[in-house]
Amino acid sequence: MAITLAHYLIVAAILFVLGIFGIFLNRKNVIVILMSVELILLAVNLNLVAFSSALNDLTGQVFAMFVLTVAAAEAAIGLAIVVIYFRNKGSIEVEDISTLKG
Amino acid sequence: MMNWTLALPEAALACAGLAILGAGVLPRRHDMFFPISMAVIGALVLAGVLVLGQGDGAALAGQYVSDAFARFSKVLVLIGAALALTLALDFNQTDRDLARFEYPVLILFAAIGMMLMVSANDLMTLYLGLELQSLAAYVLAAFNRDSERSAEAGLKYFVLGALASGLLLYGMSLVYGFVGTTSFDRLAEALTAEHAASLGLVTALVFVLAGLAFKISAVPFHMWAPDVYEGAPTPVTAFFASAPKLAAVALLTRVLTQPFGELSAQWGQVLWLVSAGSMILGAFAAIGQRNIKRLMAYSSIGNVGYALIGLVAAASADPAVRSEGVRALLFYMAIYLLMTIGAFAVLAAMRRRGRPVEEIEDLAGLARSDIGMAVWMLVFMFAMAGVPPLAGFWSKLFVFRAAIEGGYVWLAVIGVLTSVVAAYYYVRIVRVMFFDAPGAAGALDARPASLTVVMAATGLFTALFSVAPGPLLAAAQAAVAAIAG
Amino acid sequence: MYVGAVFFPLLGACISGFLGRWIGPIAARWSTVVCMALAAACGVPAFFDVAFGHNPATVPIAAWIATGGLEVSWALRYDTLSAVMVGMVTFVSFLIHLYSVGYMAHDPTQPRFFAYLSLFTFMMLMLVTADNLVQLFFGWEGVGLASYLLIGYWYERESANAAAIKAFVVNRVGDLFFMLGVALTFWTFGSLEFTAIFGAVDQHLGDRFLGVPALELIAVLLFLGACGKSAQIGLHTWLPDAMEGPTPVSALIHAATMVTAGVFLVARMSPLFEYAPTALAIVTVVGAATAFFAATVGCVQNDIKRVIAYSTCSQLGYMFFAAGVGAYQAAIFHLFTHAFFKALLFLGAGSVIHAMSDEQDIRKMGGIWTRVPVTYAVMWVGSLALAGIPIFAGYYSKDAILEAAFASHSATGMLAFLLGLVAAFLTAFYSWRLLILVFHGAPRADEHVMAHVHESPLVMLVPLLLLAAGAVLTGYLFAPFFIGHAWEEFWAGSIHNAPHNHILHDMHEVPAWVPLAPTVAGFTGIALAYVLYMFAPGVPERLAATFRGFYLFLLNKWYFDELYDAIFVRPALAIARIAFRVGDQRIIDGVPNGAAALAVDAARGAVRIQTGRVASYAFTMIIGLVLFVSLLYLGTTR
Repeated sequence: MAITLAHYLIVAAILFVLGIFGIFLNRKNVIVILMSVELILLAVNLNLVAFSSALNDLTGQVFAMFVLTVAAAEAAIGLAIVVIYFRNKGSIEVEDISTLKG
Repeated sequence: MMNWTLALPEAALACAGLAILGAGVLPRRHDMFFPISMAVIGALVLAGVLVLGQGDGAALAGQYVSDAFARFSKVLVLIGAALALTLALDFNQTDRDLARFEYPVLILFAAIGMMLMVSANDLMTLYLGLELQSLAAYVLAAFNRDSERSAEAGLKYFVLGALASGLLLYGMSLVYGFVGTTSFDRLAEALTAEHAASLGLVTALVFVLAGLAFKISAVPFHMWAPDVYEGAPTPVTAFFASAPKLAAVALLTRVLTQPFGELSAQWGQVLWLVSAGSMILGAFAAIGQRNIKRLMAYSSIGNVGYALIGLVAAASADPAVRSEGVRALLFYMAIYLLMTIGAFAVLAAMRRRGRPVEEIEDLAGLARSDIGMAVWMLVFMFAMAGVPPLAGFWSKLFVFRAAIEGGYVWLAVIGVLTSVVAAYYYVRIVRVMFFDAPGAAGALDARPASLTVVMAATGLFTALFSVAPGPLLAAAQAAVAAIAG
Repeated sequence: MYVGAVFFPLLGACISGFLGRWIGPIAARWSTVVCMALAAACGVPAFFDVAFGHNPATVPIAAWIATGGLEVSWALRYDTLSAVMVGMVTFVSFLIHLYSVGYMAHDPTQPRFFAYLSLFTFMMLMLVTADNLVQLFFGWEGVGLASYLLIGYWYERESANAAAIKAFVVNRVGDLFFMLGVALTFWTFGSLEFTAIFGAVDQHLGDRFLGVPALELIAVLLFLGACGKSAQIGLHTWLPDAMEGPTPVSALIHAATMVTAGVFLVARMSPLFEYAPTALAIVTVVGAATAFFAATVGCVQNDIKRVIAYSTCSQLGYMFFAAGVGAYQAAIFHLFTHAFFKALLFLGAGSVIHAMSDEQDIRKMGGIWTRVPVTYAVMWVGSLALAGIPIFAGYYSKDAILEAAFASHSATGMLAFLLGLVAAFLTAFYSWRLLILVFHGAPRADEHVMAHVHESPLVMLVPLLLLAAGAVLTGYLFAPFFIGHAWEEFWAGSIHNAPHNHILHDMHEVPAWVPLAPTVAGFTGIALAYVLYMFAPGVPERLAATFRGFYLFLLNKWYFDELYDAIFVRPALAIARIAFRVGDQRIIDGVPNGAAALAVDAARGAVRIQTGRVASYAFTMIIGLVLFVSLLYLGTTR
C-alpha cells in the first residue's frame, strides 16, 4: 500500500489530538505538558512538510524550519519558567498550579 | 523584492535592541534598570518617528507590508509600550527583583514582535511576530522571580499560550495545505466563495481564529487573562492589557478582512458569538471581584467584546458597513489603549508603606488622601463605563452604530445591556474612592512623578477627547481605507 | 453677548475650581459671583433682544464631530425659548450665587462649592442653548453630574452621600430612556440637528418602529427621560432626598436648573410632540398625577425644605400637563414665574434655617416672625405667588395652565383640570401651614436656639428682595407676551403648535367660573390652614389620630416603594424600577437583593468556571473550538 498525503495527515492529526489531550487530561506533571506542546508542534511540522511535498512547493518546508526554531526557543523559555515555579513552590504538580482563581 | 529599507522601523528597533542588550550585559552592574529603560523609551520613540515616515508598499518578498493600517496600529503599539514602560519606572525600582535591565529589553522585543504582527503579509511573518511577542510576554509575566504568584502567572500563560499557538499553527498548516500558499495576497486571490463550503478550510479558519482569539483574551479563550493579570507584576499587567491586545486585534482584523475576506459569512458568525460572550462574561464576572487587577482583567475581556462588534460589522456584505465597522474597531482600541494604561497607572500607584496593594478596598477614602489621583481614576472609570462626554462614550457609540447599520441589532442590544451592568462595577470603584471611609491600614503612599505623567497624559486625552476628536478619527479613516476600502 | 452668557459661568467655575487653592476662598467666591453677574448682564439683555427685538440667532462655535453619517456642529441656538431660559437661568443663578456668599460664609471648602455651582449653571446653559440633541445631551449629563457633586457636597454626611448617589442613579434611569430616544431620533431622521429634525417631521409622520409609530415612541422615550430630570411621579424619589445639599443648591436645582430641563425638553421638541397624541396624553396624565400626588404629600411633611421640595414636584406636574394639552407656552411661562418664587421660597427657607441654628423641622419652630421681618415678608410673597393669589406671578401662569387643561376638551385634559384644581387647594393649604408653623404661634424651639434667632446679613437679603420683586411682577408684566395676545409674535415659532392645536386661543374662551376656580381653591386652602393651625391648633393632631392610616399614608409619601409594583405595569418602567432598586440598595448598602442578586448569581456562575486549573482552562478552549467548528459544519451542510 502506497503511503499518500492522507496517511501523513492522519498521523499528524493523531499526534495533534494526543498533544491536546496530554495538556488537559494530564494530572501529574508540568513537564508532561511541555512534551504535549512539543507534540502539537510536531504534528504541525508533519502537516507542513507533507503538504509541501504534495504541493511541490517549498514554502511549507521553510515554514517548518521556522516552527522548529521557535519551538526550541519556546521550550527553553518554558523550562525556565518551570524552574522558577519549582524554586518558589517546591512542586510541579499540575494540580498545585491553582492558587490564582475566581 | 528585497527592499528591506521599507522595514526600517523594525530593523532599527531590532538593532537598537541588540545594542541596548549589550549595553546592559557588559557593565556588570546592578543599577542598569533606569538607564536601559530610558534608552528603550528613546528607541521606541525613534521607531515611532520612523514609522511616521514610512511609505506604502510590500517588502521582504511580500512577507511584510506597510500601509496606513499598519502604521496606525504601530504608532499606537509604540505609544502603549512606551507608556507601559514609563509606568514601570518607579514601580520596578522599589523592588530589587523587578529592577533588572532585562525588563525594558523584553518590552522592546515584544514591541518588535507586535510591529511585525501588524505588518504581516504572510502567515509566516504573522507567526514569527506573534511568537516574538508571546515569548517576551511569558518571561515578563514571570518576571518577579521570587513571587509565587508571578511564577504561577507565567507558567499558566506559557502553557495556555503554547496551546493557542499550537492551534493557530495547525490551522495555518491546513490553510497552506488546502490553498497552497501562505501569502495573504495570494490567499485573497485564491480563496473564492466555493472555498466557503469546504469543511476543511472552515475548520482551519476556526483554528486560526481560536489561536488569535486567545491573544486578545476573547471568550471562550479568555481563561488565562484573569489569573495572569492578577499574578503578574502590575506594570506587566498594564502592558498586557494595552499594546499586545491592540496589536492582536489589528492582526486579527487584517487576517480576517484580507486573506479570509471571502469567508466573512463564516467568521462573522463565530465572532458574533465570541463578541457577545466576551461582553456578557466581562460584565458579570467582574461584579464579585475584590482584586482590582482581576477586575481589570474581566473589564478588558468585556472591552475586547465591544471592539469585536466592529469586526462583526466588518463581515457585512455592504462595503460601507465594512469600513465603518473596521473604523469603529480601530477607534475603540485606540481609546481603550490609553484609557487602560491610565487606569493601570493608578493601580501601579497603589502602595502602602512601600508594598503594592491591589484590593478595591485599598482605594477607600482616596479622594481625601489624594484627590488628584482619585479624579483621574474617576475619569478612567467613567470613561470605561461609557459616560459621555468622555472618550469611552464615543468609542462605544461608534461600535454600536456600526452594529446597527450592519443589521446586528441584537449584538448592539447585548452591548448596551452589558454596558449598564459593567457601569455598576466601575461606579463602585468611584464610590469606594469618594465615599468610603479609609480603612484602618491608612492612606496610600504618595504617587511617584512618572505615574503622574502617565495619568495626566492619558487622563487629559480621555477627558478632553470630545473637544477635538477629528485627528484620531481621520487617522482611523485613513487606516481603514488601506484594508477595507 | 450670546457667547458670554453661556461661558462666563464656566470661566468662573474654572477660576474657582482650579485656582481656588491659590487665590483663597474670598477671591474664589467673588470671582464666580462676578462671572455670574457678567453672565446675567449678557443673558438678560439677550433675552430682551431675542424675544422682544425679534432677533433670533445661531452662534456657531465649532464643528464638533464630523464623521460618516453623523455630523454634529457646536452652536448656540438663541430663539425665544432658549432666550427665556438663558435670561431666567443667568439671573436667578446670579442671585443664588450672591446669596451663597452669605449662606456659605462659614464653610471651609468654598472654592469647591462655588466652582460646582457655576459649573452647574454652565451645564444648564449648554442644555438650553443646544442646537442639536448631542449638545443637549452633553448639558443634560453635565447637569446630572454637577447635581451629584452638589447634593453630595457635604460628603462626610452619610445621608448626603446616599442622596447624591440616589439622585445620580435615578437620573441615569431617565437618561437611559433619553439616550434611546436620541438614538431612535437619529435612526428616524438621520440627523440630530434640531433644524433638520423639525423640518423633516412631516415626512416621517407615518414611520413605524417595531410596529409602533416612530414619532410616538420617540416622544414617549424623551418624556421618560424628562421624567427622570424633572422628578415626575415614579422617578421623583430623588428630589426630596436632594435636600441633603446646601440650601442654595436646592434653590438652584428647583428653580433655575436641572428639574426644569425636562419641561424645556418637551417644549423644545414640541414640533415632534405635536404629532404624537398618545405621548401627549401620557404626559398629561403623568403631569396631573404628579401635581396631585406631590401636593398631598407636601401637606404632612415636617421638614421645611421637603415641603418646598414636594411643592416643586407638584408645580412641575402642572408644567407637564400644560405641555401635555398642547399649551407649551403656558408651561414655559409657569416655569419662568416658578423660577422666581421657588428660588425665593428656598432662599427664604435657607434664611429661616440660618436663623434657627440649622434646624429644619417646622414642628420645632414658631413665633419668630417679629425677629426676622424681612424673611417673613418675602416668604409671604413667595407663598402668595405659589398659591396663585391674584396679581402675584403664580396666579397668571397657574390659571393659564388650568384654563388650557379645561379648554382642551379631552378626557385627560379634564382629569388634569380636576386634579390641578385640587392640587391648587392643597398647595395653598400646605404653604400656609408652613408659614404659620414656622413664624407664628408659641416658640417651640429651646431657649438657646431662640436667643440666637436673627435676621440674615444684607448679602442674603438683597437677592431675596429682588426675587420677591420678581415673584410679584413677572406674571403681570410678561403674561401678555408668553400666553396673551402677543404670543405668536413673542415666540416667533420657537415653540411649534400644529395647525390643529388652538389651545392658546381656546383657553381665553372658557366659562367665567374656570379662571375663578383656582383662586377660590387657593383662598379656601389658606382659610383652612388658618382654621387648623392658627385658631384651633389641636385639630390637626386629632385629625391625624382619627385618620391615622390616611395620615401615615401621606406621611410615608403614599408608600411609594410598595406602590411601584402596582402602578408600573409597563415593562419599560419595570426596568426603571429594577435599576432604581439596584442603584438605591446595591450601590448604597452594597447588599445584594432583588434583581441585583440575579446579577451576582450570574457573576458567581461566570467565575465558577475560573477554577484556577490549567487543565480546565485548556479544556474550555478546546470546547469552544469544537463548538465553533460544529456550528459552522451545521451551517454549511444546511
